[in-house]
Amino acid sequence: MDILLSHIDKTYDDNRDRRVIFENMSAQFSGGQFYVIIGKSGVGKSSLLNLMSGIDLPDGGTIRIGDTAVSGMNDNARTIFRRQHIGFIYQFFNLIPVLTVIENITLVCELDRMPQKTYMDRAKDLLNQTGLYELRNHYPDTLSGGEQQRVAIVRSLVNDPEIILADEPTGNLDLETGRVILDMIARLAKNGNKTLVMVTHSPEAMAYADQVMQVEGRRLVPETKGSDLP
Amino acid sequence: MILDPPSIALNPLIKISLRQSLGHPLRTFLLVFGIALGVAGVIAIDIAKTSVSKSFELSTAALTSRATHQVVAGNFKVPQSVFTEIRTGIGIHRSAPVIESRVMVKELGNTPLTLMGIDPFSETYFRDLTVQTNGKSDNNLSNLLTKGSGVLLSRANAGPYGLAENENLTLVFGEQEFHTTIAGFLDSKNAASNTVFQGLIIADISLAQEILKFKDDITRIDLILADKTEVNQVEKVLPSGVFLVETDQQNRVVRQLSRSFETSLTAFSMLALFMGIFLIYNTVSFSVARQRKLFGTLRALGVCRMDIFKGVLLEVMILCLVGSVLGILLGILLGTGAVKAVCRTVSDMYFVLTVSQTHITVPTLLKGLAAGILSSFAAAIFPAITAAKTLPITLLQRSASESALKRYLPLLTLFGCLIICGAVAALIYSNVQPGVDFLGVFMIFFGAALLAPVVILFAIRGLLFLVQGKAGVIVKMAARNIARSLSRTSVLIASLMVVTSVYIGIDIMTTSFRFSIVDWVTGNIGGDIHVSSSDTLNRALKPKLLKNIQDMPEVAAISAYNIHRIFSRTSGEVHIFSYVRDLSTKTWSWTAADEADMPSLLDQGWIFVSEIFADRNQIKAGQRAEVTLETLQGPVSFKIAGIFRDFFMGGGRVVVSRKSMQKFWGYGDITAMQVFLHPKKPAKPIKPVMEKIRSLIPEQDMVKVVSGASIKQGILDVFDRTFLITSALQILTAIVALTGILNSVTALLIERTRELGILRACGAETRQVGRLILLECGLSGLISGIMALPLGVCLAWILIHIVNQRSFGWTYDMVVTPSTLIQAVTLACVAAVLAGIFPAVKAGRTDIGQALHME
Repeated sequence: MDILLSHIDKTYDDNRDRRVIFENMSAQFSGGQFYVIIGKSGVGKSSLLNLMSGIDLPDGGTIRIGDTAVSGMNDNARTIFRRQHIGFIYQFFNLIPVLTVIENITLVCELDRMPQKTYMDRAKDLLNQTGLYELRNHYPDTLSGGEQQRVAIVRSLVNDPEIILADEPTGNLDLETGRVILDMIARLAKNGNKTLVMVTHSPEAMAYADQVMQVEGRRLVPETKGSDLP
Repeated sequence: MILDPPSIALNPLIKISLRQSLGHPLRTFLLVFGIALGVAGVIAIDIAKTSVSKSFELSTAALTSRATHQVVAGNFKVPQSVFTEIRTGIGIHRSAPVIESRVMVKELGNTPLTLMGIDPFSETYFRDLTVQTNGKSDNNLSNLLTKGSGVLLSRANAGPYGLAENENLTLVFGEQEFHTTIAGFLDSKNAASNTVFQGLIIADISLAQEILKFKDDITRIDLILADKTEVNQVEKVLPSGVFLVETDQQNRVVRQLSRSFETSLTAFSMLALFMGIFLIYNTVSFSVARQRKLFGTLRALGVCRMDIFKGVLLEVMILCLVGSVLGILLGILLGTGAVKAVCRTVSDMYFVLTVSQTHITVPTLLKGLAAGILSSFAAAIFPAITAAKTLPITLLQRSASESALKRYLPLLTLFGCLIICGAVAALIYSNVQPGVDFLGVFMIFFGAALLAPVVILFAIRGLLFLVQGKAGVIVKMAARNIARSLSRTSVLIASLMVVTSVYIGIDIMTTSFRFSIVDWVTGNIGGDIHVSSSDTLNRALKPKLLKNIQDMPEVAAISAYNIHRIFSRTSGEVHIFSYVRDLSTKTWSWTAADEADMPSLLDQGWIFVSEIFADRNQIKAGQRAEVTLETLQGPVSFKIAGIFRDFFMGGGRVVVSRKSMQKFWGYGDITAMQVFLHPKKPAKPIKPVMEKIRSLIPEQDMVKVVSGASIKQGILDVFDRTFLITSALQILTAIVALTGILNSVTALLIERTRELGILRACGAETRQVGRLILLECGLSGLISGIMALPLGVCLAWILIHIVNQRSFGWTYDMVVTPSTLIQAVTLACVAAVLAGIFPAVKAGRTDIGQALHME
């Protein structure tokens, strides 16, 4: 599923300061590709993911995902669209502490009122693929960082969304674990023919990417692999 | 030795605290409002209690003045010749005749006032009556009162109705009206004197005699007797049925009535205090706990322990002072309303409280302030110590406080059990001394609050077990969230439990009382129609009327009786009854003999007394006892055959035989009768029969014919008014419950913003998040409602069997209806859900982007 950003403007008002993040920014992300977004801290990388997922709205311009103009939807419609078409992976895992591993993974499906039989097999399969099956009844706070991030990856894939957005998924992990996680995300996305957009500071992630883009000067510009990273 | 780093100036901390408070106006408002409401509840009921007590004191002072003794009669009519004998025969000049009766005043909206007939020439020794006429002081009472039908009344009574001098004042006595004129106002520059004379109408004794048709009788003679010799001299000249009593002894009877209300109001004041303390504790502890992270950051930055400790307490104390001051103002406002309600009830039912001013005393305000400050301090001290003692890194972890609670859970549970056991033992073995009862209740509440965490854990586990595999993720999350934030939710649930148990206690008490009243009224007023004299001066019904009614074909039976007021040294005004045929059903709490023997014992001169009379005379159930009553033949001792349940206040009631009534009090008349109609199927309206009875009554006779049903309703209405203040307290519980839970849920949600953001990012719709919050609130309400059930029943038992019994001498069976319990649990759930609506809407609107970047 393609993502099309056209003439996006985004400004934040921090008390008296007005901070322009994007100005007339346009970009296209093709379906089934792995994109890595880089850029200095505070330039708007996470904001870009929030705009793409419908968590936030642009001040101007349009965002289309496939045939749907996400930026024109109301909050409820965007929420439903997000849970059906987009999987999200965060730096701090963002698991719900009162839910077990399996409950965290199937949360999105339950919220979408999907019949259990339609997602449970896939959830178990993903748990097996990620080595989490034995931990399915554990609570997040009993897992290591790497295990928690693996749960978050499975959660983002369980309902088979077309798009995966990842916000510094290895930022909170050690190098070795980060490498494993990166490999897992890339593999699962590739196998599922997902559009993967990853914001990261990790140079290793670029090796997996089909295209690297940089947020610079309030725009998103293509970056050559291996250029100097922030 | 490791020393703390040098203390940095407190100023930056105060700045941070104040900015925190100002930056979150809703949180600050809820904290201040919570404290204010707690303080207001304490103050309002304390004002009501103090004011009612003071009103009794002032009203008694106005009536008895400086008299040391009073001459009174068993039937409240002292021949005026007795006064002449005392004044001129013995030569006691410090004597004053008084006529006193309750009248209604048309121009004052039918307010009941006390008409006091005095002799202006004798008053100098007794009362300082300062009168204002045409804006000037005029102490020539004889001039004012002896001209025409002039009367004096307090400006405070006349003012609100815009009455001026020389305007008419219609006094209603029984069914008769008398036109008088306002000769002046009882008004002096001394505010205290003005207060004393509020609610009084002063008239010349001859005018009062004319109005009340006392002929040559008076109500009493006030005396200032110097020594025992004068006492003996007076006693010698008194005819039989007239006797001398000390004013103190006389006032004691009224004081006893005053104490009844004080005890009852003290009980409610204590309940308001409990609720206030729990609400304030809940509010403050949440407020302090939510700043853990800030304290952690400050500690990490190098702020030393003592500064954190002082900072926490300072912020709480500043807000607590603001809340307490607002609470005092709100309390005064609510208290003023409560005083009016209570005084109205007392005046309607028992004793004309001539004064109904709001008395705001310093101890009352201090009590409210202390409740606010001490509860806030108690709520802030532990988080403050924890914040000061704990390592900065632990403070930054939200889970640390939960781990600490879980570590201490067995100890808390054990401590809670021990406190409850101790409190129950104290209640059982102390024979429930005054003060111990409510301390016991407080200990039980406190113990139950300590058990709250473990009960919540079990309840949640039980619920999750029951819904296993059936419940959706939202239900599971709601239940687990409660268990996960135990250090917060247990405080919230315990507070709601206390409030709900107060609601249950009051509801069971009023329901039980109403059940008993209905039983009692049905038993006593079983007749279909009630016929009585409405002539307050001659209350006898004509024998011919009785016969005519009895001969009516519709009438199956009549129960005729007479009822008269007599004076008792121990109980004051007592009503004595004698039945021609007693068809009423009484509930006996104790009998000296079998109930079947009662009629014969009555004929042998024994008497039956009401519970209140027995209580006033310290007669215990199961004891053989005698009591002395003042009769026409002087004091006579009567054996008590039985005690019957009765809810009339005052001195109580006594049932004697017709023979005894005639012999000892000289009454052989019939003053009222109950008419029982032939049962008809289907029931026919009784109105035509009432009309038929009315047609038998000569036009000039003042006879009242009313249906039994309307009398019953009237009595029930009067008793319902007695519990007006309890209804107010119930409303207060609902507000406290709402405020407390709103406060707690708002604070809890602030801590969970990130979690809610994740949920929204995962695709939870606004309404799904809202439903989660409402479910959590509803579940918390349900747990607290269920936990409140045993506590509420325990409180009801204490209110019924200790407080009411000690206050009014009433005993009644405790009736616990399922509807009360269901209502209480529903109240807790509804209050919790209602309070959760706003936070739920807010939670649904969580800014996902912002929430996800919180760490």
